Amino acid sequence: MDKVVNDFTFNIATANGTGSQSANLILLHTMFEMGVPVSGKNLFPSNISGLPTWYIVRVSEAGYQAPGDRTHIQVLMNKATWADDLAKLEPGSVVIYNSDVKLPVERDDVIAYPVPMTKIARGLNPKLARMIANIVYVGAIAEVVGIDQAKLEKAVAKQFKGKASAIELNVTALNLGREYVKENFEKLDPYHLEAREKNPDSFLVEGNEAAALGSIFGGITMLSWYPITPSSSLAEGIISHIPQLRTDADGKVTCAVVQAEDELAAAGMVVGAGWAGGRSMTCTSGPGISLMSEFIGLAYFSEVPGVIWDINRVGPSTGLPTRTQQGDVSLLYEAGHGDTKHIVLFPGTVEECFEFGWRAFDYAERYQSIVFGFSDLDLGMNFWACNGFDYPDRMDRGKVLHTQEELDEIENYGRYRDVDGDGICYRTLPGSGLKPVLTRGTGRDEDGVYSEDPATYVATMERLKNKINGSRTALPQPLLREEVEQEVGIIYYGSMENTIQEIDDQLEETGRKVSQCRVRALPLSPGVEEFVANHETIIVLEANRDGQMYGILRKELPIDLVPRVHSVAYSDGLPPRARVYSDKVLEKLVEVGA
Amino acid sequence: MTIKLNIIELPKSDYQGGPSSLCPGCGHDQISSVIINAAWENGIAPENIAKMSGIGCSSKTPAYFLGKSHGFNTLHGRMPSVTTGANVTNKKLQFIAVSGDGDTASIGIGQFVHAIRRNLNMVYIIENNGVYGLTKGQYSATVEKGSAKRKSEPNEQPPIDLCAMAINLGCTFVARSFSGAKKQLTSLIRAAMSHRGTAVIDVISPCVTFSNNDESFRSYGYVKDNELELHSYDYIPHFESLEEVEIPEGEFQDITLFDGSTLRLETIDSNHDPSDPVAALSHIHKAETEERHVTGLLHYNPGTKTLDEWLDLSDTPLADLAEEQLRPSEADLASLLAQFRE
Repeated sequence: MDKVVNDFTFNIATANGTGSQSANLILLHTMFEMGVPVSGKNLFPSNISGLPTWYIVRVSEAGYQAPGDRTHIQVLMNKATWADDLAKLEPGSVVIYNSDVKLPVERDDVIAYPVPMTKIARGLNPKLARMIANIVYVGAIAEVVGIDQAKLEKAVAKQFKGKASAIELNVTALNLGREYVKENFEKLDPYHLEAREKNPDSFLVEGNEAAALGSIFGGITMLSWYPITPSSSLAEGIISHIPQLRTDADGKVTCAVVQAEDELAAAGMVVGAGWAGGRSMTCTSGPGISLMSEFIGLAYFSEVPGVIWDINRVGPSTGLPTRTQQGDVSLLYEAGHGDTKHIVLFPGTVEECFEFGWRAFDYAERYQSIVFGFSDLDLGMNFWACNGFDYPDRMDRGKVLHTQEELDEIENYGRYRDVDGDGICYRTLPGSGLKPVLTRGTGRDEDGVYSEDPATYVATMERLKNKINGSRTALPQPLLREEVEQEVGIIYYGSMENTIQEIDDQLEETGRKVSQCRVRALPLSPGVEEFVANHETIIVLEANRDGQMYGILRKELPIDLVPRVHSVAYSDGLPPRARVYSDKVLEKLVEVGA
Repeated sequence: MTIKLNIIELPKSDYQGGPSSLCPGCGHDQISSVIINAAWENGIAPENIAKMSGIGCSSKTPAYFLGKSHGFNTLHGRMPSVTTGANVTNKKLQFIAVSGDGDTASIGIGQFVHAIRRNLNMVYIIENNGVYGLTKGQYSATVEKGSAKRKSEPNEQPPIDLCAMAINLGCTFVARSFSGAKKQLTSLIRAAMSHRGTAVIDVISPCVTFSNNDESFRSYGYVKDNELELHSYDYIPHFESLEEVEIPEGEFQDITLFDGSTLRLETIDSNHDPSDPVAALSHIHKAETEERHVTGLLHYNPGTKTLDEWLDLSDTPLADLAEEQLRPSEADLASLLAQFRE
């Protein structure tokens, strides 16, 4: 049998709340430390304990980070999904299973390694047996594919943060799992893990942690938040770094954190803090955005800066609350009532989660408006390889007048008078005593005085439109990878970045060479229009049902370009698998005759 | 004739606002003029005040007072959250907030509750008339049972008493007054401005247009005839050089406020101790059963940490911190990355 080296996928089926996440992270981190390109996806239920959970580890020399098309090594721990998980396996797959579960593995076309995991775990500590059994499977896997023991032990120590007793127990369990496999089985499968030279700069980090650090380095002064999966870890990330990174010489904090009573209040606090001159932020998911929408509209119209991160989950309503989607794009772009248009940033990598984390505050203060960071459960809550974060540029605090002299330099100052012609007016802050104004959502004139005059309203709305349009060239520009042929171009965004290369390679195997354009911000850059104009057929690829970015493009592109733009939109809640999307792209290209 | 100046040498005109667009005779306008007086008499610089409001007749009034202060007329029922964000960003501002009974007791009751729970450092004035004015006269949640308006069926639901609610939530300053009781209201607002923490003042402010049938609990005529005054006071700011007089036993009670200023209570009902929340609640309850209003400082509990205090925010308001104070250094980033790479 030919050896398969560093190119296979594990699927580990456990029950939620049994401690399997620790075991899975130990596995992931160990492989990563061996220099093997690896990615992990946690498919977890909306539940505290008991419901099924799967952890998918993709090992890919090519660097593919999507879950892959099939499972090569299945770990069975969970009764509830046992038969189903087993039935899905392709012939030749490996099954490592807990033989104490006493469920049959009645397939003679798979390679089975039964290990009495519960018995081994009970022998160590009867009370913690359920949890320890998970570490036993890590040991069994380590022996089957050949994982470095020293690196495994280092990962255990890191996972249990140096707690000696926990480390000892887990290392013993690992070794027992490993020994059992060594003594009882001959290796019959082809899957081997081989160490590679690891980039010493690289590490694994979750998107939410990266965005949290970006916010901390962006000088966030207030975080208000209401817990909601999958955004809570972003808020908790910020909170965890404040003691170390955001306390002053007197030990006092320079970033306030308020856990709000609901998302309405969280948004209100963002608006209040932005109005008072702070760098304010909240993070939430789709249901929270709905509740925040009145405030988002108020901030747009009264021109108050603020940052809101949406870590997208599957909606509408509770939807699939622990699954991923790009389903809030149109909601964010036009949140509020009446005419609005908001800046939305789409990080595609953890590096960009950090970068857009700090840039969001600069854009919010520059444009005196709400800026959204758009991430999703896949990017936010899974671990991704990263080589480091670049230190931010100098802050842009926007057009704020701090002194009488600065005020005097402006002829005929008014809070809402556009003196520079870019639609952005100068503001003064409460406490400054400079040209106070009663900020409000009600119509006002250029001096901020109440007005319902039709011409004044129209002038305000046109200026707001110009202001936001002015950001098109200043926001993160699209990243292009263009083919010489320029026949087909794919437009995509956000976490799809982590699947696009595999999709591209699969398309290329069929003879299709496609260019790529990754949109990184709304409103759209002129570069996107240029990309569309340069290609005969455009596919807009996204993880939702209706093609939300496609809709925005149709609305904003010149009418003569619209016929060449087509939508491939699909979302089932799981992180995008390349094959699903490449098949749909091919179908669409056939359908439109490209 | 010289113009009278306050302690920081500003004329009262520096505290005035624009012309009111409320109905002529509206109690809310009387409250606005009391706010102007109180701020001027307390000698607070207008630039150090932030005026906050929600939506409704009452919430329009920040346009009519303190024209030299920044203000934010926010969303319906959401003034407390905006004030929370502004407060943690600039804790040196004096927040004077105006809300109504619809804004506070219905749509905004959650934010009202949580502002109190956080002991947000603000003056929270409710201009309470039991009616939605801007939408033309619907009942609010503070309207008394049995109230009959011309356009509606009689109200069958019990009212929410915002003072009782605030006391139960641990609010550190709870008072009730009447828009026509200028002297008492001025004292209460001045005291509230000196208090650190959430100071709730529920001001009965009859609606001249929609709620002035005399049998209504909150009509001008009814309140005038039935008001039960618990205390009347003489407020002595700490920066005035008046010596404290010794108060004859049983007639007065002095309360020292957070900033050192003193509130003198001329006690009518000498049994009431404002530090006792249960006594305050029973006064409210008794007044309610006897269909009267008890006014005055009902509950006062100084010395509780405010939100900005328990957050342990830097001494300089966060809004005034420079980039160097807000952004960790390159060395910080390097050591953080080193930790990740361990």
